[in-house]
Amino acid sequence: MNPTPNSNDDSSAQLDAQALARLHALDPDGRHGVVGRVLATFETSLLRQMAQLDEARERGEADELGRIAHTLKSSSASIGALALSAVCAEVERAVRAGETTELVKDVDRLLAEGRRALGAVRAILRP
Amino acid sequence: MNPPFSFADAGLPASPAVLLVDDDEVNLLLTALALRERGFVITEASSGERALELLADRVPDIIVLDAMMPTLDGFATCRAIRAMSGFENVPVLMLTGLDDDASITRAYQAGATDFFVKATQWSLLAGRLHYLLRASRTRIELERSTTKLARAQDLARMGSFDWRRGEAGLVVSPEGLRVFGYGVQDGVSLRRLLRMVPRDERRALMRLLHDVLRQSSVLAIDVPITLYDGNRRIIHVEAEPEYNEHGHTIGYTGIVQDVTDRRAAEDRIRHLANFDALTGLPNRHQLIWRAERALEYARRGQHQFALLLIDLDRFKIINDTLGHAAGDELLMEVARRLRACVRHSDQALEGSIETAGARSHRTLEAVGRLGGDEFVALLPEVAEDRDAERVANRILEVMREPIFVSGQECFVTASVGVAIYPRDGATVADLMRNSDVAMYSVKDQGKNAAAIYGPQLAGRGREKLELETALHKAIERDELVLHYQPKIDVRKSAMVGVEALMRWNRGGRLVPPGEFIPLAEETGLIVPLSEWALREAARQAKAWQTSSGFADSIAVNLPSHLFSRSDLIEHIHQCVTGFGVPHRVIQLEITEDNLMKDLQDVIPSLHRLNEIGVEISIDDFGTGYSSLAYLTTLPISELKIDRSFVRDLGITPQSSAVVTAIIALARSLGLRVVAEGVETLRQMEVLHRLGCFIMQGFLFSPAKPADDLDRWLEQMVLPRKAPWIGQVSETDFATDAVRTAAGRIHR
Repeated sequence: MNPTPNSNDDSSAQLDAQALARLHALDPDGRHGVVGRVLATFETSLLRQMAQLDEARERGEADELGRIAHTLKSSSASIGALALSAVCAEVERAVRAGETTELVKDVDRLLAEGRRALGAVRAILRP
Repeated sequence: MNPPFSFADAGLPASPAVLLVDDDEVNLLLTALALRERGFVITEASSGERALELLADRVPDIIVLDAMMPTLDGFATCRAIRAMSGFENVPVLMLTGLDDDASITRAYQAGATDFFVKATQWSLLAGRLHYLLRASRTRIELERSTTKLARAQDLARMGSFDWRRGEAGLVVSPEGLRVFGYGVQDGVSLRRLLRMVPRDERRALMRLLHDVLRQSSVLAIDVPITLYDGNRRIIHVEAEPEYNEHGHTIGYTGIVQDVTDRRAAEDRIRHLANFDALTGLPNRHQLIWRAERALEYARRGQHQFALLLIDLDRFKIINDTLGHAAGDELLMEVARRLRACVRHSDQALEGSIETAGARSHRTLEAVGRLGGDEFVALLPEVAEDRDAERVANRILEVMREPIFVSGQECFVTASVGVAIYPRDGATVADLMRNSDVAMYSVKDQGKNAAAIYGPQLAGRGREKLELETALHKAIERDELVLHYQPKIDVRKSAMVGVEALMRWNRGGRLVPPGEFIPLAEETGLIVPLSEWALREAARQAKAWQTSSGFADSIAVNLPSHLFSRSDLIEHIHQCVTGFGVPHRVIQLEITEDNLMKDLQDVIPSLHRLNEIGVEISIDDFGTGYSSLAYLTTLPISELKIDRSFVRDLGITPQSSAVVTAIIALARSLGLRVVAEGVETLRQMEVLHRLGCFIMQGFLFSPAKPADDLDRWLEQMVLPRKAPWIGQVSETDFATDAVRTAAGRIHR
């Protein structure tokens, strides 16, 4: 499955300004194109992780779902996709707690937030 | 870029190399960017496997590991890293989630150095990395210095230990265990170590340890132990108490060191400083130390102690004839015998009277060697003189057995002088001096005996004592010489004999006989002096016999009491036979005074001397009141007219009358007559006219060293150059002269 951005839904796809400011602080005059590199990396990585999530859900691999959520939790927080990060945290917690009944629904939410974050990133990278 | 952190210590890399491992590319990128900005050199790895690959090539200063990674997670990676050789101590920082306590525990279990909660606060991460690097460096340095310390301790045969009250007990460092001959694997307890201490010492040691513990005092002792292989070692233990926050002693910390070798060296040095190298007996230094202690004990204990000075008789002769090696051998045997005469203790117990017990001064008892052939016996407590005399007699007794040295049987005797504290001296120096005085009094009276000091021996003045002491050494030091004055037969203008006169070369000054012979006679030193003179005369006779066919005799002056000594004849016999000359080369002169004083004692000797061919001459004749009746019975060969008559010849008529009478007497008894002190040609002429043809005096020659005499004979007498030669007719008209002189007296 190839997730596609939902253009109708980009009203909530704002990246956290504080997080973006921290990224900017790493390269204040933009000489190294840090923000662009980070966001591009996030884009690539997010696409891959969303595919992996989809796959893991198909196979019913709860642990794998938890691990991907864990990774995505911190990288999404880093670029300011806070809503995505929050869902990731919820999925990771649920997996660790063994609460698998709601998991499919949660992963759906996660994928939805992922798509929105992807949109937000692309909006910055390719305005 | 920001400058490196100011707390980047010296010795730390300016740009620490970091291996950053994270499967999340975003985080990896962000963290790398943030750390690079803060001066770190970052190598990125996106998986645990990749990290291990990279580590094969390069060792970073620090590794940052994400805990959660697919396949090889952070914990597995960390364990793999720790298993790699060279990576045991590389700091590893594990990045974990904020709410992940389990991961933190797992991180440490996997060998991570520290954990850090994943966050975007990069400066905190950088600070943590710097801290870990510094801690790691400190740890490396500590390990290095610990290794160095261990090596140093091993070299110094030293180790450390800690002891705690209760369960913990004793913990000894591996180096410390080696000191006791144990390995790290050996379970060592205090009890086990104490069992290595010999039983006798163990009890005292236990007592000491209890005392130290009770008083929380510092411990510093040397403990003898026996290792498992039977080797005996001495372990120095030094420890000080450790306190808890309430000031209570909780235990001790300290070091142990094997000081066996050092102690052996110290003992050797102490031994060298205190014991004579040849005989192994206490030396002068040690003897004086012991005597000082003994005096102190005697003073406090109100008892007497005795100091015996033992000097071997004629040791120098043995040394000279058999050589120094034999002399040393003899001294060693003498030392062995002397040791057996007292309760000799090699080690005097140190300590005060209070602690060492009332009898501890007994351990001071010893025989020691002062030097040369002088020994001292120290008796720390004697009840009466007889106690000391008994020991002195035992000493004389043990010397009686012959001593074999260099395959020869030697007889050695000793002279022993005794001084007793407090009667004979209040200080060790006084006692030494007075035992010396007593010892010399024995030598004077013929040696091989013992004498206790008495004030009568000390009556002599200090100067005299010094002169006497110097004179004693004069023979040993070869300071004595014989000078020879020729006896001239004026009819033949030839030398017909010489008189030997003793001179003392004392520190470059030639001391005339008048200054030391009276003292020598007074102190009895005249005996060894005369014995030496006889030996020397025999030697010179031999030398002249060889060089110029000398066949006359050398006259040696002897005091009368020497004639009464039974060993005189034996001595002369040994002297002449020793040098291979006939007995007649020795002529003995005795003054008329001396002869008459001891006449009864001397007569037998004179006869025997005469029998073996030694002629006797009466010196200074005419001054004493000789019993002329005796003269007729004495086995004498020569009369020497006293110089006072010769001096006055031609001045006072009485003198020529006396000379004439002496000549007549001599002739009637068949004796040779010699005039002494002839200084002028006129005296010579008168004597010649009176019938005295053999003369001695400055007119011819003063007493000269043998070599000078040879030269004089060669240059003045044989070429007939001397002024007195040819001054008198060689015709024998003595009878006329006697008649003429007698006629004058009667006129």
